[in-house]
Amino acid sequence: MREQAFRFGRARHLVGIAGLPDSGDGTVGVILLNAGLVHRVGPFRLHVDLTRRLNALGYPTLRFDLSTIGDSGATGESQSRNQQICADVDDAMALLGQHSGCQRFVLVGLCSGAEKAHNVAREAHSHEKLAGAIFLDNFAYRTLGFRVRHYLPRMFNVRRWKRWLARKAQEHAAGDVPVFGVAPLPQHVVREDLGSMVARGLKLDLVYTGGIHMYFNHHRQFRECFGSVVDDPAVSTRYLRETDHTYVLTGDRQRLIDHIGEWLTRHFPIAQAGALP
Amino acid sequence: MTRPDHELPFFFGEGGELFGIYHQAARPSARAVLLCAPLGQDHMRCHRIYRQLACTLAGQGMPVLRFDYYGCGDSAGGSAEVDWLRCLDDIAAAARELRARSGAERVLAFGARLGASMALAAAAAAAGIDEVVAWDPVVDGAAFVATQDAMQEAMRQDTHRFVCPRQRAEAVGQWLGFPVSSTLRGQVEGWRAASRVAPSLLLDSMARPAAEWRQLFGEKTRIESLEPTTPWDDLARLEAAVISHPLVQAVASHWRERAYA
Repeated sequence: MREQAFRFGRARHLVGIAGLPDSGDGTVGVILLNAGLVHRVGPFRLHVDLTRRLNALGYPTLRFDLSTIGDSGATGESQSRNQQICADVDDAMALLGQHSGCQRFVLVGLCSGAEKAHNVAREAHSHEKLAGAIFLDNFAYRTLGFRVRHYLPRMFNVRRWKRWLARKAQEHAAGDVPVFGVAPLPQHVVREDLGSMVARGLKLDLVYTGGIHMYFNHHRQFRECFGSVVDDPAVSTRYLRETDHTYVLTGDRQRLIDHIGEWLTRHFPIAQAGALP
Repeated sequence: MTRPDHELPFFFGEGGELFGIYHQAARPSARAVLLCAPLGQDHMRCHRIYRQLACTLAGQGMPVLRFDYYGCGDSAGGSAEVDWLRCLDDIAAAARELRARSGAERVLAFGARLGASMALAAAAAAAGIDEVVAWDPVVDGAAFVATQDAMQEAMRQDTHRFVCPRQRAEAVGQWLGFPVSSTLRGQVEGWRAASRVAPSLLLDSMARPAAEWRQLFGEKTRIESLEPTTPWDDLARLEAAVISHPLVQAVASHWRERAYA
């Protein structure tokens, strides 16, 4: 296996590291997107450890920085952020395809990286190049089940009520403050998107953690949020209650990497799989 | 900002194990700058500001190399393999690479936290470093280790991060997201800054009294305080990037002034 550094893209504005196994032709390539503003090595170097493990299994990989994140620059094109991301991922697929020979890809994204992967995968023609996606702490919605599980144990806790009232009083005193943020896709849209991705043949892996317990708190919530699509054999779901959002403990990272390796080898087996390092 | 095309990512060193990004300057220069990263989560948090600093310095005519030590960032090696002595060797290898690429006679080093400590140690070990600018350098390794241990212990019990506190055994041998070998731990614990090689400029954003720095490094070091203070050891900011425009300006103007001195 060898790693190569590239400056690439339609404006040579992107920086990435390709991991190219000695064998593995004809399999899928795995592309990792930035988690928030963390550069391509990922939180606590998660992306480096993950790509090297996948390389050892025989999968070509690319960890890279999207436009204006990490070491990548801007193109100067007049595009929406979503259009930029789709074009950057297209550039990444072209690069990895050119150097590894693979023609189909799996995207991996954590947090906002998962949202970006989702936005790429929801494009109507994404299935022509995408074979699957791994969403780590992607979209989630406070369902009735979530509220029951979250609020019921707190209902008779006087200290919590006092804290809640104090917070509300503070918010009231502060008045209205402008909020600058990107609204998440509505629940019904994400539900339809997932159905459409599966219908187009994509394999999906949804891994959520206790790090987002303010809006996701049980494995059952996958079905509450997204409906029966999560029962489809093409969709895997996993809820890691004890783990934090960015996998700060080495054991948690190792378990995630093991899981992703197993998921890939199950859905995209390679003829000459490498041995686990 | 320089054009991204002027930032070249590549692997170098023995066996191509080290990853670096070379920031080309518009014209040849007698001086080039090596950016020595800190370790662990400080490295992650400083990535952005190191790039900003590199672009600024390259923009004012000094070629820059920033790089990852073995076991860090995009370089080869696992995170558990980081070793202080290997880091010093890597600094020497990076200085050689920078000289070869830029043609510069003098290599100046910048480092933050442990990156500054290692730049000073490398300069003392004749690693081809002619001058060091240090930002909040770690001067007492034992105190640094104690702080990292305390933060790691607080983090495993942090219920903003975890639904329930984690077992001590699950968090042992790590500092804030990164495994730490007993060798590295001992090496950092044994580090004490000495005045044998003092930085030309010391940037303090931890509100440490200037007299303490003076006592440590002597009169030749210029000391500048930066506002606001940098929350290096604030668990709530563990994953927030460290950004400081005053830092970039201070380093750039220091080396601009010295070019004409």
